[in-house]
Amino acid sequence: MARITLENVKKSFGKVQALDGVSLDIKDKEFFVLFGPAGAGKTTILNNIAGIQVPEEGIVKFDGEIVNLVDAAHRDTAMVFENYALYPQMTVYDNMASALRSKLYKKDEDYIQKRVHEIAKMMNMDHLLERLPSQLSNGQKQRVAMGRALVRMPKVYLMDEPLAHLDAKLRNAMRTELKSIQAQFGTTSVYVTHDFMEALSLADRIAVINEGKVVQIGTGDAIYDLPVNEFVATLMGDPEINVIPGRIEKTETGYRFSMQGSGKSNDLPEDKDLFAKFEALGVEKVDLALRPQHLVYSFDPVPGYLHCTVYSYESIGNKSVIVADHEGLQLRLIAPNGLRVKIDQDVYVDTKLNYSLFFDYETKEFLARYNEAEIRKIAEPEEEEG
Amino acid sequence: MSGLRIEHVFKRYDNEGKGKKKKVNDFAVKDLNLVTEEGEFVALLGPSGCGKTTTLRMTAGLEEITAGDIYINDVRVNDLEPKDRHIGLAFEDYAMYPPLTVYDNIGFNLRAKGVSKEEIDKRVREIAPLMQCDDLLDKMPVKLSGGQKQRVNIARAIVRRPDLLLMDEPLSHLDGKARQAMRTEIKRLINEIKCTTVYVTHDQLEAMSLADRIAIINFGVLQQYGTPAEVYDDPVNEFVAGFIGEPPMNIIETTIVGEGEHFFFTFKESNLKIQVPERYYNVVSNGFKCKMGVRPMDVLIGGPDSKGTPEHVATFENLGDERRIGIRVGDFLLMLITEDETRYKAGDAIKLEVRAEKTHLFDIETGARIRSR
Amino acid sequence: MKTGPKTGTKVLLNILLLIYSIFALFPLIWMVILSFKSDAQMYNTLFVFTPTLENYRIVLFTTDYPKYLLDSLIVSGFAVIVSVVVGVPAAYALARYDFKKKEDIAFQILSFKFAPEILVVLPLFMIYQKLHIYDTYFGLIWVYQLISMPLLIWVVRGYFEDISVEIEYAAQVDGYTWYQIFFKNLIPLIKPGLVSAALLAFIFAWNEFTFPLLLAGTNVQPITVAITKFLGTDTAHYGQLAVAAVVSALPAIIFALCIQKHLVRGLSFGAVKG
Repeated sequence: MARITLENVKKSFGKVQALDGVSLDIKDKEFFVLFGPAGAGKTTILNNIAGIQVPEEGIVKFDGEIVNLVDAAHRDTAMVFENYALYPQMTVYDNMASALRSKLYKKDEDYIQKRVHEIAKMMNMDHLLERLPSQLSNGQKQRVAMGRALVRMPKVYLMDEPLAHLDAKLRNAMRTELKSIQAQFGTTSVYVTHDFMEALSLADRIAVINEGKVVQIGTGDAIYDLPVNEFVATLMGDPEINVIPGRIEKTETGYRFSMQGSGKSNDLPEDKDLFAKFEALGVEKVDLALRPQHLVYSFDPVPGYLHCTVYSYESIGNKSVIVADHEGLQLRLIAPNGLRVKIDQDVYVDTKLNYSLFFDYETKEFLARYNEAEIRKIAEPEEEEG
Repeated sequence: MSGLRIEHVFKRYDNEGKGKKKKVNDFAVKDLNLVTEEGEFVALLGPSGCGKTTTLRMTAGLEEITAGDIYINDVRVNDLEPKDRHIGLAFEDYAMYPPLTVYDNIGFNLRAKGVSKEEIDKRVREIAPLMQCDDLLDKMPVKLSGGQKQRVNIARAIVRRPDLLLMDEPLSHLDGKARQAMRTEIKRLINEIKCTTVYVTHDQLEAMSLADRIAIINFGVLQQYGTPAEVYDDPVNEFVAGFIGEPPMNIIETTIVGEGEHFFFTFKESNLKIQVPERYYNVVSNGFKCKMGVRPMDVLIGGPDSKGTPEHVATFENLGDERRIGIRVGDFLLMLITEDETRYKAGDAIKLEVRAEKTHLFDIETGARIRSR
Repeated sequence: MKTGPKTGTKVLLNILLLIYSIFALFPLIWMVILSFKSDAQMYNTLFVFTPTLENYRIVLFTTDYPKYLLDSLIVSGFAVIVSVVVGVPAAYALARYDFKKKEDIAFQILSFKFAPEILVVLPLFMIYQKLHIYDTYFGLIWVYQLISMPLLIWVVRGYFEDISVEIEYAAQVDGYTWYQIFFKNLIPLIKPGLVSAALLAFIFAWNEFTFPLLLAGTNVQPITVAITKFLGTDTAHYGQLAVAAVVSALPAIIFALCIQKHLVRGLSFGAVKG
């Protein structure tokens, strides 16, 4: 169990700056998710915590103690690697027992046997123990890699995309299992993923990483509902959030939003706090962002609706996605399955503007949103000191 | 005229180990029958090792057919060389020729066939905008991103105007965003060129979103062949039901209990009680054991005056777009999905209602769907 | 269809292979036959003759042949051992660490094999004289490194590169030191490559002729050089020569047979990465 602190950690590989001043404070017993696109530096952060790599600048602390000079073996972590990193010449059992047989974490064979079987049973792979890694499917390998980490009770679990190669069914089951394991043992866990659903469902807190920098840290709610910039907003949610560039103007009663180009303009629904913020910021050009579920459509003309053509219509299981095209601006919206939709047919789209988020047109930074105060209350619970 | 016709096709790999006895494996593909309409987009879907890629490779002529016949546009192609089958191939890692520009890569096959220079130029310039790679034509393959490579790859496959386009997991190397975008592109492209397409994938979402019809294969056997809506709403067995949909369908063992005029699903170590839809009354009886399947979005949270069974929340996941709630039913975790904004905690009491008309019954032993008579 | 060639072509291909194998094997067979012939029958009959072990008796018991054999074993064996002890860590470093001029160094090592031996042997001869290592085991073992080391380093390096670095990380996190990881995890994984490379190096060292001819001569005489002694000044004892050749070929053949499994896997794995 440990609190892990990174202070201004920098790391480069040749000319590539992999980490550019990363600071994180991961609390004891926390399930902390590092989330971001491929190549953002998530795995490098994990490696620096594990001690596999050493930062060129900055400090890594475990429970307040600087561990920069402690090697990986002595940091008492357990890690799941994305490419599994199983020892090919050892059976699954020996792979799992490996750490408990090393000098540092030595346990007697009776204990090892008990522990390995216990974990194998939990992971539903007790029938695989005698196999070699080459005889396993990718999903099975991934479970072994997880199991190898779980046999130990380290200070911290480090997991690099441990569910990425599992099929949907197994992934769902394992996600639930992971969560209950963590709740049971309360071991600090740092988890890397590029799947926003995994991040949201597992994390106590999420750090969004991009290009070696921390973009935002917060609860899942905060990241989803109060993204600090457009980049974070587009990462969360599938289909992606719609971004509509335009300008806001003050009217007699409130504010009015006009879409860029020949698009239509609407009065924004009243929200005193929001309008006050607009007033204070004094911005004009903004990006209005709306999640696909907050767009409504009709195939018959409705006055006030935006005229678009269907760019594509795809079923994604329990629902479908219509991509509507308005002069090159593509809007994604949710529709039921089984509609008879032809590509390039007309569709009319309206926006539920009272769910809008506003971003700066130039910097793409978050400006304001509807119901901000209320959402902030849910998304940012009072910090417990500890 | 038909696109592709596969009739009673079998495939078996013989492993001839050195010094060992000839080992005969089970069939990789067993008695496969598949007919596509012309211009149809068919997805072969199944878990890894189910025989879907083998089927594609047999169709392409890269693999021998153990038994059965394959017809492309009513021509039996069993004994034709791949190059004579009029097919276009786009594979997961179908490498480009590195010393050639994108333009030459796309035109390569035409040149090999001796098509005239003007004709090649015309066709390449015709295809490139469709695949949005017209501004890439002068680039070298090493300069391209994963998504761009895949575009060129597909352009190269369709430039020959094939009778049949075969794609094997063309998106599996792309990350989430690029994959989503390419999916839309492919869908539009096929709509444009109207070429019969067979598309192999293990990702049910890809199959659902792209295909006109999906062939679901498991252990070399075709399980179901139907439109996305059919396989989703009317699965023929437990495998299909569990494979299609994310999160997967809840499938729980149940014992049916008759009370008065009605039957109810009951579950081991649980108070949950769900009324059996009346259409099943002629196949169930008191004490009848089977598996009940219901999709997470067909399990609902009842209001205060709901007659549903009170249950406790075991897990709660807020996924932004939707919220998932898990409820313990014996040792099974029943999932439900809601767009309701309420935040629950583990232990909260909720009332569960199930859209009874959306429940499916499966045989415990065989997993086959039990239908009302 | 990928059915392979037609039956007619298959027969033709097999005939061609047969012809080639006769062409390749015939000298060897001839050599074995010669070793069982007496000098009298040496030139007249090819397949009909009275087999005799006389040549074997003379070579093995009346000459210094066993000593030459031993010399060859010592020199080649130690050359390979030195190459393994020095080469494996070098290969690991070239595979894992990033340092300046890495590829240049790797190429430099390989280039030792490029130069014809005859080209470097003269300066080496002078140096050896000065260092007083001319005609010693040490001297030969040292110069043999030019032959065995590049081969070993290049093959083993490929093997190390194939092992994902995460396996080492995983073992570190599991609480093992670098030395434990190296011997417990890495060596077993490169074993096929190591064994086949070592065997090839041994064979090359065993067959080496130029270096022992010019850098040794009286105290140390590997078999390749010693065989020439059987070509006397007046008469050539082809029978004895054949015996010497046959016996000298044996160790390599025995080794190869013992580790055939590793050899096939090792050579087909290591060369093509993937």
